Amino acid sequence: MTESTMNASLAVDAARDGAAISERLRTRVMPRVLTGLFILLAWEFVVRALAPAYVAKPTTVIAAIPRVIVDPVFLRATGATLAAVAEGLVIALIFGTIIGLLMGRSPSFERGIRHYVNGFYAVPMIVVLPLFSLWFGYSGVTRIATIIFAAIFSIIINVADGARSVPREYLEVARSFRSNRLSMLTGIVLPSSMPYLLAGVRLAAGRALIGAVVAEFFISVGGLGYYILYNSRSYHHNEAFVGVLLLAAFGVSFELLVNWATRRFMPWYRRDEKTS
Amino acid sequence: MVPFSETLVRLWQLVSGGQFIPQLIDSTVLFLTGFLIALVIGMPLGLLLARVRVLRVGIEPYIMILYATPMVALIPFILSLMGFGFVPKVLVVFLFAVFPILYNTVEGARSIKPELIEVAKSYRSSEWALWREVMLPYTLPYTMTGVRQAIGRALVGMVAAEFFLSSTGLGQLIMGASQNFDTGGVFASILIIGLIGVGLMRLGLKIEQHFARWRN
Repeated sequence: MTESTMNASLAVDAARDGAAISERLRTRVMPRVLTGLFILLAWEFVVRALAPAYVAKPTTVIAAIPRVIVDPVFLRATGATLAAVAEGLVIALIFGTIIGLLMGRSPSFERGIRHYVNGFYAVPMIVVLPLFSLWFGYSGVTRIATIIFAAIFSIIINVADGARSVPREYLEVARSFRSNRLSMLTGIVLPSSMPYLLAGVRLAAGRALIGAVVAEFFISVGGLGYYILYNSRSYHHNEAFVGVLLLAAFGVSFELLVNWATRRFMPWYRRDEKTS
Repeated sequence: MVPFSETLVRLWQLVSGGQFIPQLIDSTVLFLTGFLIALVIGMPLGLLLARVRVLRVGIEPYIMILYATPMVALIPFILSLMGFGFVPKVLVVFLFAVFPILYNTVEGARSIKPELIEVAKSYRSSEWALWREVMLPYTLPYTMTGVRQAIGRALVGMVAAEFFLSSTGLGQLIMGASQNFDTGGVFASILIIGLIGVGLMRLGLKIEQHFARWRN
């Protein structure tokens, strides 16, 4: 290929890329931006027309953002909630994975606890709060316990599903090479249930976040949920709403992170209904 | 901790005493109202988004954001704006329930193969036939996955509304017991709500499976 034809083909590629980008702009980005603007405008208009002045609306919330994100109270609250969610999730992940693997690979263990796991999963997590606050007092322990309770069952259920669906041949090959149970569990069952585990984590993270906020509402322990509650009670709705935005951002980034990880590390796995 | 026998005794007292049935009815009315409104708004809107591509592309990311947002965080605002009545509680249940329905319906709409619609179009299928034969059968299984998730979330929303807005229904049962340090009563109420949760979950799965028979 001579240099001139190469340049020509590069130019064609560039032109095609340019066309693709402008096509994407027209069909994807534009509708999204316009819809966003429309939502913001409608919200602003409705609140200005109908609601009292303290109610959060886009302009005042945006004005509050620079003030709030440097406020040490807000930063401490965010840190406290995130630390609790992370701690609870890690605990739920460790124990949930162990219990899930055992459930998936041991029929007798599964028969024993299946109904309890499904039952606890179906209990709206919020009802345990009064009980936990009696047991653990009005402290951070109650929050961690609520987060673990909210998160662990979706991990157990998904990991057990994954462990059950390991192709039989893998295990047979491993067995004929005389590998022991533990190395089969860690070497075959765990890696092959990874996509399920990730789906479980995606669910668990969302539930953990809800658990943390609800616990903070209920027992008034310092954190983002309590920050929102406190500020909205004292008619600082704009400040409180910045907290809601941050929570939404956490929720969305968990979701995106897990989706990205699934695509990046397990491209063969199509995300489907095995997510709840 | 209390022994299980005491929990059962308290459970019997709760159920046989006069206070349980009215509370159960109260909660049921709240749950059903919020959930049905979510269904009536979420399903047609989701289907509309399925058909009108520009709308779907525009609204999709916002539905995804709201789906992932912990809706409990809005309860303090609802409380301070709307007070303690029935309507704000219905709003909470609605907010918990509507986004799973919407999110999954849109997901289903995305999975419709464009060729199907093109083929239908090239056979000059009417808009109505297109909806009946292609759009609905394709998106309904997904919508029903959303309905199952929404049932679970609406239950959480119901209890959250009963805890944090005005205390009524089954939520009040738990709160009352907890404030009296009546652990047996707390257990008994949790057991009741747990059983309701399991029952609703089963129902949701049944509904989902009924509509998903020929998915895949």
